[in-house]
Amino acid sequence: MPEEKFDCIIVGAGPAGSTAGFLLANAGLEVLIIERGTFAGSKNMTGGRLYSHSLEKIISDFASVAPVERKVVKETITMLTNDSAVSIDFQSQQLNQAQKESYTVLRADFDQWLAGKAEDAGAILAPGVRVDDLLFKDGKVTGVIAGEDEMEADVVILADGVNSLLAQKAGLKVELKPNQVAVGVKEVIELPAQVIEDRFGLNKGEGAARIFVGNCTKGKIGGGFLYTNKNSLSLGLVFTLADLAESQLTVPQMLEEFKSHPVIKPLIKDGKLVEYSAHLVPEAGLNMLPKLYSDGVMVVGDAAGLVINAGYTVRGMDLAIASGEAASKAIITAKEQDDYSAASLARYQDLLDRSFVMQDLKQYQKFPEFMENPRIFNEYPQLVVNIFKDMFIVDGSPGKPLRKKVLNHAKQVGLVNLLKDAWKGVKAL
Amino acid sequence: MKKVVACYKWVIDEADIRVEEKDHSLNFERAKYKISEYDRNAIEAGALLNEEKGCEFLAVTCGPNVEASLKDVLSRGPASISYVNEEWLADVDSSVTSKILAGIIKKIGNVDLVICGEGSSDDYSQQVGPRLAALLGYASVTFVNKLDITEEGIKVERKLEDGVEVLEVKGPAVVTVLPDINKPRIPSLKQILAAKKKPTEKISLKEIGFDINASQPKLKTLSISGTVMERKNMQINTDGLSIKDAALKLVKQLNADGSLA
Ligand SMILES: Cc1cc2nc3c(=O)[nH]c(=O)nc-3n(C[C@H](O)[C@H](O)[C@H](O)COP(=O)(O)OP(=O)(O)OC[C@H]3O[C@@H](n4cnc5c(N)ncnc54)[C@H](O)[C@@H]3O)c2cc1C
Repeated sequence: MPEEKFDCIIVGAGPAGSTAGFLLANAGLEVLIIERGTFAGSKNMTGGRLYSHSLEKIISDFASVAPVERKVVKETITMLTNDSAVSIDFQSQQLNQAQKESYTVLRADFDQWLAGKAEDAGAILAPGVRVDDLLFKDGKVTGVIAGEDEMEADVVILADGVNSLLAQKAGLKVELKPNQVAVGVKEVIELPAQVIEDRFGLNKGEGAARIFVGNCTKGKIGGGFLYTNKNSLSLGLVFTLADLAESQLTVPQMLEEFKSHPVIKPLIKDGKLVEYSAHLVPEAGLNMLPKLYSDGVMVVGDAAGLVINAGYTVRGMDLAIASGEAASKAIITAKEQDDYSAASLARYQDLLDRSFVMQDLKQYQKFPEFMENPRIFNEYPQLVVNIFKDMFIVDGSPGKPLRKKVLNHAKQVGLVNLLKDAWKGVKAL
Repeated sequence: MKKVVACYKWVIDEADIRVEEKDHSLNFERAKYKISEYDRNAIEAGALLNEEKGCEFLAVTCGPNVEASLKDVLSRGPASISYVNEEWLADVDSSVTSKILAGIIKKIGNVDLVICGEGSSDDYSQQVGPRLAALLGYASVTFVNKLDITEEGIKVERKLEDGVEVLEVKGPAVVTVLPDINKPRIPSLKQILAAKKKPTEKISLKEIGFDINASQPKLKTLSISGTVMERKNMQINTDGLSIKDAALKLVKQLNADGSLA
């Protein structure tokens, strides 16, 4: 029986895979997307914020049709200690401008929509199927193996997420090391829309993004996040995996403590827990960049480690989408020239190099190292909180001039340390 | 070649239904649909008769929004699906459902064996199979946990409360199957791809001579509410109680609650 053969098989219907599938099918290629979840997005998690720019270029005004939750109009960074917090709020009309805006999303809905767009464009989606291995011929990838079935394609895109075993099998990367990944945990907590809007000071449909540093991770490298969805909050923590081994608390315990922090507690009051999930985040950026392509195969999104983890916030979806786009462009050219060799697929790397993806990754290359300084998660939040305590807590003891107050606290961390860290921070960025 | 038809219902996944705390009403907001649990077994039974006995195997369904089910079901074995898709079928009882299914099966014609799940995951009325048998003039066999087609006829095993009954059925029959009859497959990649090429037939009520006015549902659902288990949320081992004392305290509490009686 003559076997069916596809132009392209994509493994994984996350944002990277579905974007590539959509663009390739639109260009008239025969595309098969294989997803192990019972539907796209069924097992996927993210913090919750999609920076719109990269998808906007592909599907303009997507937010008016896609199941996005809320447009983020209010950004808050909060430094936490045991019992106190200092927050900085940012609100700007610029957060509202096309391509600069960001939306909170829930993956079960969003991924299904994006995979649906790929299907509408003509891609075939096969959910509930796990790809176990790759087919090789003369050292070239020629297809995939799923259970008993083999399926051939001119090119295979690996969009299978952070722990891409297939990229290892293709010889593109080696096994992840603990210091290259962080672990994220998240709860989705349901609350009525009106309560969310009142609690976070939002107009109807608007959203808030809050990030937390300091006590939320018990001084470990990482941070907390809270995003408002339509009828729920996404609340979670991200930590460096290597750091976690030394922690006294388990991850669920940390999340419980975070939830009962006096600053967080009222924000989630009366909310109902509807979902709990945990996931790895690639965080070594360029320092863990695999080979992005080889004969008949390329790797995109989290599978390629294309994530910026700035410690307190994670950005991966916009990079995943852009990498899916770059891969599809390279394949469209490869198809025209009927050449799926590594030399031809190298165009993918070129496109990425010239895009924001590699440029942003370069910019943040030293950042993980900088963030690995424990002072950032211990001393500095305490320092800032202490300064504010002196300014705002009036208990009848004689006041000191502000300059002195600040200096006193800074001395505790060590002025030299402070300056050194500040300089490193500036350089890292 | 024997012709086998499996009936299935496309139901709300009960795992997605939430019971509201305040009034125990059901919240379907996040609910997704799935093939009713035992109907998966019915479909699998048909698929096996096709693969092992060379029977022709088709599926039928009716309901609101059943088009969403077609791909999934086709990847599980049937050569095609004939269906009636009508919004108002959301609120009908088993009498209406079985009339429509009987209409579709008659339209297919010459069906030797109809397989249904013992009951649906949502209403579990256990009526559609036997009613279908009556409407089609077929034999009716319930509680089936083994099924085979031989030259002589249909051979079944019925699992009863305290025993097993083995039967041979002459002529066409409707059987309703239990979940332990088989293990429904997880469709493979090739089965999923093959499903995309299989035909489906959308059937109108007119084609099967179904008269809405003459066939109004006889049952009307007034309300459905969840039962909620209230937790007492008591912690026994408080204030550094020793394990022994905590155990004694627990036994005392369970006795007081009547849980050990
Ligand atoms: C806690 C946390 C918070 C985050 N916050 C944000 C944020 O706010 N903003 C942001 O932009 N990014 C965030 N990210 C990162 C973002 O979620 C990822 O970068 C993004 O999901 C990557 O998309 P992807 O398509 O490459 O991979 P994924 O979304 O991981 O998709 C991979 C898909 O492949 C499937 N798959 C895997 N293996 C196989 C196989 N063998 N066969 C078939 N299918 C397979 C999976 O089921 C999955 O659907 C966060 C991540 C975490 C963990």
